[in-house]
Amino acid sequence: MSLLKRLYRFVDLRIGVGEITDKELTGYLLPRNINGWYSLGSILLFAFALQVVTGMLLLVYYVPDAEKAFQSVNHIMNGVPYGWLIRLIHAVGSNTMIAVLILHMLSTLAMGSYKSPRELNWVTGFLLFSLVQGISLTGYLAPWSQLSFWATTVATNSVSALPVAGPGMVEFLRGGKLVGPSTLGRFFALHVAFLPLVIGVVIAVHVFLLKRTGISTPPFGKGDTKNAWQGESYRYESHPGGIPFFPDFALHDLSSILIYLAVLFGVVFFWPTMPFTPDAFVPADPFKTPAHIKPEWYFLANYQTLKILPNELLGLTVQGVAMTFLALLPFIDRSPERHPLKRPLFLALVVTGIVLWVGLSVWGHLS
Amino acid sequence: MENDGRRKFLGVCLAGATAAAAVAAGYPVFRYLAPKSGESGAQKLVIPAGELREGEARFFEYQGASAVLVKTQKGELVALSAVCTHLGCVVQWVKEKQHFLCPCHAGEFATDGSVLAGPPPRPLAKIPITLLEGNITVG
Repeated sequence: MSLLKRLYRFVDLRIGVGEITDKELTGYLLPRNINGWYSLGSILLFAFALQVVTGMLLLVYYVPDAEKAFQSVNHIMNGVPYGWLIRLIHAVGSNTMIAVLILHMLSTLAMGSYKSPRELNWVTGFLLFSLVQGISLTGYLAPWSQLSFWATTVATNSVSALPVAGPGMVEFLRGGKLVGPSTLGRFFALHVAFLPLVIGVVIAVHVFLLKRTGISTPPFGKGDTKNAWQGESYRYESHPGGIPFFPDFALHDLSSILIYLAVLFGVVFFWPTMPFTPDAFVPADPFKTPAHIKPEWYFLANYQTLKILPNELLGLTVQGVAMTFLALLPFIDRSPERHPLKRPLFLALVVTGIVLWVGLSVWGHLS
Repeated sequence: MENDGRRKFLGVCLAGATAAAAVAAGYPVFRYLAPKSGESGAQKLVIPAGELREGEARFFEYQGASAVLVKTQKGELVALSAVCTHLGCVVQWVKEKQHFLCPCHAGEFATDGSVLAGPPPRPLAKIPITLLEGNITVG
């Protein structure tokens, strides 16, 4: 018996690895009509892990001090071997991760996978979306460049429009009246410790819910596309005669992750300036506001909404209502039908939402 | 049999591709974390001889590690590594006894670096010096 086999037998006799493999990998059956969109969750897990690893590596040289932060990032980019690669994977990776997250949510919407009994999966997923936006915003300040400084000033300032508590909340968020060294301290702590921990826990809950409820059957290629669950008792949605997760779908997941990596490295190597504007290469100056400071692409629609509406409070209210509607969607849309083409009103709403979001983002970019 | 051969070939290809990917990912990370060559401190150091009186020692950084220059009561100049050969603590100069003491485990060294007492297995390494026109050049 080879050493590896003996080692496996040693562990298996003690903790029953074979049983776990049978149940969770080879015996974990997925619907036969499963499609590529179901890989987006695995891509996101991988993307988050990559952000954590590159973030840890950046911590080796990054100094979270307003006097030294910009210089330390400059040193990582120009002085440390392959520092540019680690930093660009982290900076571009945050953008690609959000893009995949949006696609994951859109596919869930289109296939009606948010419907009962998967309301909690949707709510935790939506929470993850908000947390990832939060971790991106807090990380944006870290390089302490003109772009970081003023984008954070604008983003935190919008909270001041909230009645009564608004101005106090902004001061609390910034650690002072203006963005300054204390803002960097608290944003850094949120970015590297608090938010990753919370995101990790919510991911665990999200995956736990997925495993307990069972993976949804795609509504494509089936006669009856209605939701079969009546809500009478707990039921695990099994897929007898389905394809095994390992090796079949795991290989599919691996291919999807490799495509994600190809896109990520494509941007890192051929469009390395994608996450930066010229202001990202100038150290933060609290007395010099640059012209045309804009947020990252995924906040452009929010930014433009605040610009076009007559007052900021109205802008925040509109966004709050839209986000709350999206977060509570499974409790609002209770029809059993899951096929997108058999839900014309819903499909029209989704398409309008996407067009509106893209339109506002483009408008925000060009304005 | 034919299938077994194909399975083995694909297995070898997969293992090779995985190993290549691991090297491609691991090399930049290793280089990123490895200390930069040339950052190991000064290779030569010049200290004015007048700065050091008889019976005194002066500690300094040499080639990225702690070193010490001592002028014995007889006027002899000696440069030594200040890193104890036992477990790597930095020795301290005991002026009253004219010897070095490692505070970690009470190792004692003479001004020529030899072990006087305690657990150090080897003497302190000597560093070459030259005295020219009132300047001591270390290294």
